[in-house]
Amino acid sequence: MNDYPQVLFKNRLPGETVTLRSYEKTGGYQGLRKALKMSPNEICELVKDSGLRGRGGAGFPTGIKWSFFPSKAPGEKYLVCNGDEMEPGTYKDRQLLRADPHQLIEGMVIASYALQATAGYIFLRYAYEECAQNVERAIAEAKAAGYLGENILGSGFALSLHVHRSAGRYILGEETALLNGLEGKRPNPRAKPPFPAQRGLFGKPTNVNNVETLANVSHIINHGPVWFQELALTIEGSGTKLFGLSGHLNRTTCFELPLGIPLREVVETYGGGIRQGRAFKACLPGGASTPYLTAEHLDLPMDFNPLEEVGSRIGTAGVTVFDETTCMVAVTRNLVQFFARESCGFCTPCRDGLPMVSWLLDKIEHGLGNHDDLCLLAKQVQNITGRSFCALAEGAMGPVESLLRLFEQELKDHIQKGQCPFL
Amino acid sequence: MPTLVIDNREVTVPEGMNVLDAAKAIDIVVPHFCYHEALGAIGSCRLCAMQFLEGPVQGVKMACMVPAQDGMVVSTSAAEAVELREHVIEWLMTNHPHDCPVCDEGGECLLQDMTIAGGHYLRRYRGKKATYTNQYLGPFIEQEMNRCITCYRCSRTYRDYCGGRDFGVFGSRNRVFFGRYKDGQLESPFSGNLVDICPTGVFTDKPFRFKSRIWDLQEAPSICPQCSLGCSTIPGGRFRELQRIRSGINQTTNGFFICDRGRFGYGHVNHPERPRDPRVDGLPVTMEEAITAARNRVDALAAKYGGASIAFLGSPRASLEGNLLLQAWAGRVGSSQSVFDAHQGRDHAARSLAANLASLARSLSDVRQSDLIILIGADPLAEGPSLALAIRQAVRQGSEVIVIDPRPVALPCAHQHIPLPPQLLHMVLKALESGQYDELNDAQTQPAVKTLRSKIAQAKLPVLIGGADMLGGLGVKLLCDAAKRFISAECNIGVMVMLSGPNSFGGAFLNIGGPDFDALIDAFQEGRVRGLVCLESDPFREAQFPAKAQAALGHLELLISIDCTPTLAAKRADIFMPSRATAEMAGSFINNEGRLQAFHQAIEPGMPLSALGPGKHPPRLFQSTTPGATPQPAWQILGQLLDRPADLNQLRRTLAAENPKLKALTHVDTTAARICAEPNGIAAALTHEMFSADSSAGNVPLLITSAFVGSHWLSHLSSPLKALREEPTVWLHPSLAATLGLKHGERAILSTTLGRCHVRVQTSNDMAQELALTYQLLDSALEGMSPGTIINCRLTGEEGQ
Amino acid sequence: MSELLPQNQLDEFKAKANCADHPQELIVDLLRAIQTECGWVPDHGIDLVADVLGVLPVEVEEVATFYDKIYRYPVGKRVIHVCDSVCCWANGSEDVLDHLQKTLGINLGQTSADGLFTLLPTCCLGACGEAPAMMIGLTTYGPLTPERIDQVLAEIREEAGG
Ligand SMILES: Cc1cc2nc3c(=O)[nH]c(=O)nc-3n(C[C@H](O)[C@H](O)[C@H](O)COP(=O)(O)O)c2cc1C
Ligand code: SF4
Ligand code: FES
Repeated sequence: MNDYPQVLFKNRLPGETVTLRSYEKTGGYQGLRKALKMSPNEICELVKDSGLRGRGGAGFPTGIKWSFFPSKAPGEKYLVCNGDEMEPGTYKDRQLLRADPHQLIEGMVIASYALQATAGYIFLRYAYEECAQNVERAIAEAKAAGYLGENILGSGFALSLHVHRSAGRYILGEETALLNGLEGKRPNPRAKPPFPAQRGLFGKPTNVNNVETLANVSHIINHGPVWFQELALTIEGSGTKLFGLSGHLNRTTCFELPLGIPLREVVETYGGGIRQGRAFKACLPGGASTPYLTAEHLDLPMDFNPLEEVGSRIGTAGVTVFDETTCMVAVTRNLVQFFARESCGFCTPCRDGLPMVSWLLDKIEHGLGNHDDLCLLAKQVQNITGRSFCALAEGAMGPVESLLRLFEQELKDHIQKGQCPFL
Repeated sequence: MPTLVIDNREVTVPEGMNVLDAAKAIDIVVPHFCYHEALGAIGSCRLCAMQFLEGPVQGVKMACMVPAQDGMVVSTSAAEAVELREHVIEWLMTNHPHDCPVCDEGGECLLQDMTIAGGHYLRRYRGKKATYTNQYLGPFIEQEMNRCITCYRCSRTYRDYCGGRDFGVFGSRNRVFFGRYKDGQLESPFSGNLVDICPTGVFTDKPFRFKSRIWDLQEAPSICPQCSLGCSTIPGGRFRELQRIRSGINQTTNGFFICDRGRFGYGHVNHPERPRDPRVDGLPVTMEEAITAARNRVDALAAKYGGASIAFLGSPRASLEGNLLLQAWAGRVGSSQSVFDAHQGRDHAARSLAANLASLARSLSDVRQSDLIILIGADPLAEGPSLALAIRQAVRQGSEVIVIDPRPVALPCAHQHIPLPPQLLHMVLKALESGQYDELNDAQTQPAVKTLRSKIAQAKLPVLIGGADMLGGLGVKLLCDAAKRFISAECNIGVMVMLSGPNSFGGAFLNIGGPDFDALIDAFQEGRVRGLVCLESDPFREAQFPAKAQAALGHLELLISIDCTPTLAAKRADIFMPSRATAEMAGSFINNEGRLQAFHQAIEPGMPLSALGPGKHPPRLFQSTTPGATPQPAWQILGQLLDRPADLNQLRRTLAAENPKLKALTHVDTTAARICAEPNGIAAALTHEMFSADSSAGNVPLLITSAFVGSHWLSHLSSPLKALREEPTVWLHPSLAATLGLKHGERAILSTTLGRCHVRVQTSNDMAQELALTYQLLDSALEGMSPGTIINCRLTGEEGQ
Repeated sequence: MSELLPQNQLDEFKAKANCADHPQELIVDLLRAIQTECGWVPDHGIDLVADVLGVLPVEVEEVATFYDKIYRYPVGKRVIHVCDSVCCWANGSEDVLDHLQKTLGINLGQTSADGLFTLLPTCCLGACGEAPAMMIGLTTYGPLTPERIDQVLAEIREEAGG
């Protein structure tokens, strides 16, 4: 049912987890063998050429990030895999680790070699116990087969991997909060600079990447950057992307699709269209922090740049679709409530600003708002965006900003009618 | 030294200074909460927004997080930045209760100031507020968490700066809680700083609660009289009552913080038993009458037996001016018998320090910047608490701390402890100086001292720290000599010694080669001295060997006391003249580094209204004078007696003219220069009588020392501090405890020639092995045991009785 | 302390802490282990963690109170976390909650009379494709209908009863 080339999901079978043996059968750990014959620098260059961009939400080019890493610095250096995945609408890393965890292990060994990291941590959210067990099993298998541990495949390179199970809270997905979490400290974000690459885990140089980002690495080594670029449908894009579909669609599962695929195709072909034959109203294209897209955006290619051009982001590509009967004020209120509740409490715009926004939206949704409240709301967005200590509060403003921009009439209707027009 | 432009004004600031401070340097103050000079920047409140127009950083940024750089052009009044600040304040206020009318912080509330400065005046948020359950935090600090604005200053002060271990940040989002893990008394001896540092009314001064509105307080910059460090304080009083003390700011000494002894130890000023009325032979008189009587009786005694028959005992807690005039009185009657500390060892230590310190003197600020700190016979928490805080700051910057002391010295930071018996301390100092280790025949001490020498030689800013009680005069000299050995172009070594009181150095300075109190004791006994004038001193309690002193003092024909506290001397004096406490007068002290600092008068003396009891205010009995208002500054009493100028500045000028070394007195201020004495002959006279115990026949040597609270006269009189007072305790090394058949936590009987008492046994691996240790506790069975001595004792378990 | 953690686990943690450069990193693991054993983390659990890892009790409490999946108050034998984030909400999580509250006779934050269930909200469970979802223990259930919920509750009751 998916006509596009499958890379990350090529081994995926419903309800099963790929073992080392079957992973190896489809070319598993060939990338690692190849990589260990290259120099660390060559790998970084290759990843840079591939155009791989971070899959954790911010989309920073992975090769460039790696090239900033002080791989030659003496002493411990760490690679951390970010598997917190707590942004509403996002469940792709879970699918990946459910289906084929060795990709992550292989990617991490290659990345560690490229960065000359001495140890790796895999940070997993509380709810992903099954994934944690899968990863632990995969680590044990890889170790036994010589892909991990001392002197990997006779190269002299050594690496140990550790799984860390978290205990809740979205903020741990923010990479510096995650590092504090790993250290057993209060997981507030840290100030940047210094960046993790300079002073990260336990004060040592650390590189943080998303699960999906790292899983792509072995394939890039195996098939080359050009192949990777050509996987995408847009000229400037590269690679496939795991799209986790949710909301009012007929089919809400996770698909591997090329970057650049039109939103319409995602919604209609893969999502099977809107439930109960209703019309598409809007969607969050990449998780709870990404500004809405509406029906006018259905033909947009789902890739980093095109979405940025219309004021949104591809984020994690967790597409949450809302049908025509949905009140977008209520959706936004729900989203802001999430962010307010998940704030770490460190900085004021987030800790106290988000509850204020949440209160405003609640008031408007209940028909108690007035026109001043709309101005107030707009001012809140302006003064929270880019002003908080980390990107959580800024992310929270994504949907609110687009609510004001795209659904102004709906907001006004609430005020005029003195109640939610969708009741 | 980057140069930048802020609001069209150019400013050049030191490397590394942030833009918020750079603006402050040209008097542009932008509202902020989480940034504090002593605590650093964390960027959490998001209030200090400025617009960066040109240069390496652009846009609206938090000024506290941006180091000043060349080429920056910054606006504090750009619309975007102003608007953001307005919003941040509005957000901070969303959960804040509107309890300003009843809030104890009212009048000095930073939140109130910043709310106005930030331009927030209209409440728009009408949602629910977060509420909290408060904790019981002990007798000093009241918590009212609903007022919290989550600036993280408290935890950064208590945990990071002061090294407290029982306070933290709990919860998250808009329900962050600052407090203890469980209800209970805050353990840090610096807990009171929470009051100063909290920008709103979450942590307030509990003993001060509901006593005054801030704006009704009379305040003035002052100097803490509780130890020799000379921390800046700001006492505040009302209704003739000293109601609270907060920390003053002095970058050279205490910085921004003080200890709880300094903050809550003011009770002596309001003490119900404080003697407030002049007396002659037990009968009340006016001050004038008392002064006349004092002058006449002293003159009569001098006429009869010669000037030398009268001795004058000043004190480490009397002002420099008072002590100077006391000495002048001695001069006028032709007596050379003036002493400024009744405690022999402490007196010698102070004089030895005044004579030897010279350019070795280091301030608390120097200690904070030191890279190697060696404490020999020093226990900062007992002898000079803010020093412990300074040491912690050095450690936070990477300094190493080594403690050589028989006591289990506690510090709020990592340190290495070498628990040597007291007799070895001098030998260690000699070995440090000479590089000869022969006298240290102990297998462990030799290499330790060797390592110490090489560490000092490698350090850039090492400081050797000692304490008067353990080192005595000789030890202080040895400490200075040792330090001098290491002075080089690379090694800028210094010394700090904790003395007994705020003006110990000043007294020593006046009497560098004069007699000491032990010499006077003999003279009392032999009848050579028949009269004694005590200025804010109590030889009955303060002498190093009080029993001996008390017997000798019985021979006196005339005892005169000038004091502001209910001392034994005041009670027994033939003539008593009430003086004022530090907060009630102006004057100056010379602190332990030789720094001459002035203090100003905060309040007028008088019987506190609260002490007059319920129903007595307004007073039923109408009278034209204020009850209890007779006390005068000691220097004024003495000035009248000696016909000196009544005006302090005029007095200072005449004193400076008489004593050229005191030139600094003419322009003394709260942040004045150091004064140093010239070494003269004193070293030869130094004896060290502390260690005279004989350890034969079941005797255990008992080392007596002082505690954070309970051993110091002024703070001992302060009721809030009672909660911190220890019960009588004997500390033993576990090996000695085992030999004596005693267990940790048990009660035992301590017998000495001074009497018997019940004590709790505590054991510690962190102390010298062959001795017992106890704190002098005033008003307890241990009162007669004076710190800095070793006596014989016997210890038996209570059950054995 | 033995009721907090089986001896072998305790020994294992002690051994790990002994050879770790930063024993503090084990705080969350140890808290989770205690919670698995006791259902929640009582005060002496905090003290135990501090003791085993050589850190201060406040440092443990600071971390413990940050995470929403560490329970510092007693809870029922099973904690039901109902997702109220956007995907589940859009698919009827409010109805799920209503149903659970009615069936169990408790409000959010409360524990059922039999001590079996505590009902708590949670943010997104990463089960957005199976919305509306809930998590009981470490198992995620979705998509939920009233029937499915009743069935799950019955299964758990049976398991707990038997
Ligand atoms: C509030 C917040 C939550 C985040 N959550 C996640 C997450 O769950 N998973 C993730 O990979 N990245 C998350 N990120 C992004 C990370 O900070 C970081 O950019 C990312 O892990 C880098 O990996 P990548 O370059 O491979 O994308 C989050 C960022 C923020 C500000
Ligand atoms: S924006 Fe501020 S309060 Fe919110 S999560 Fe980030 S640091 Fe914490
Ligand atoms: S003072 Fe700058 S962010 Fe708080």
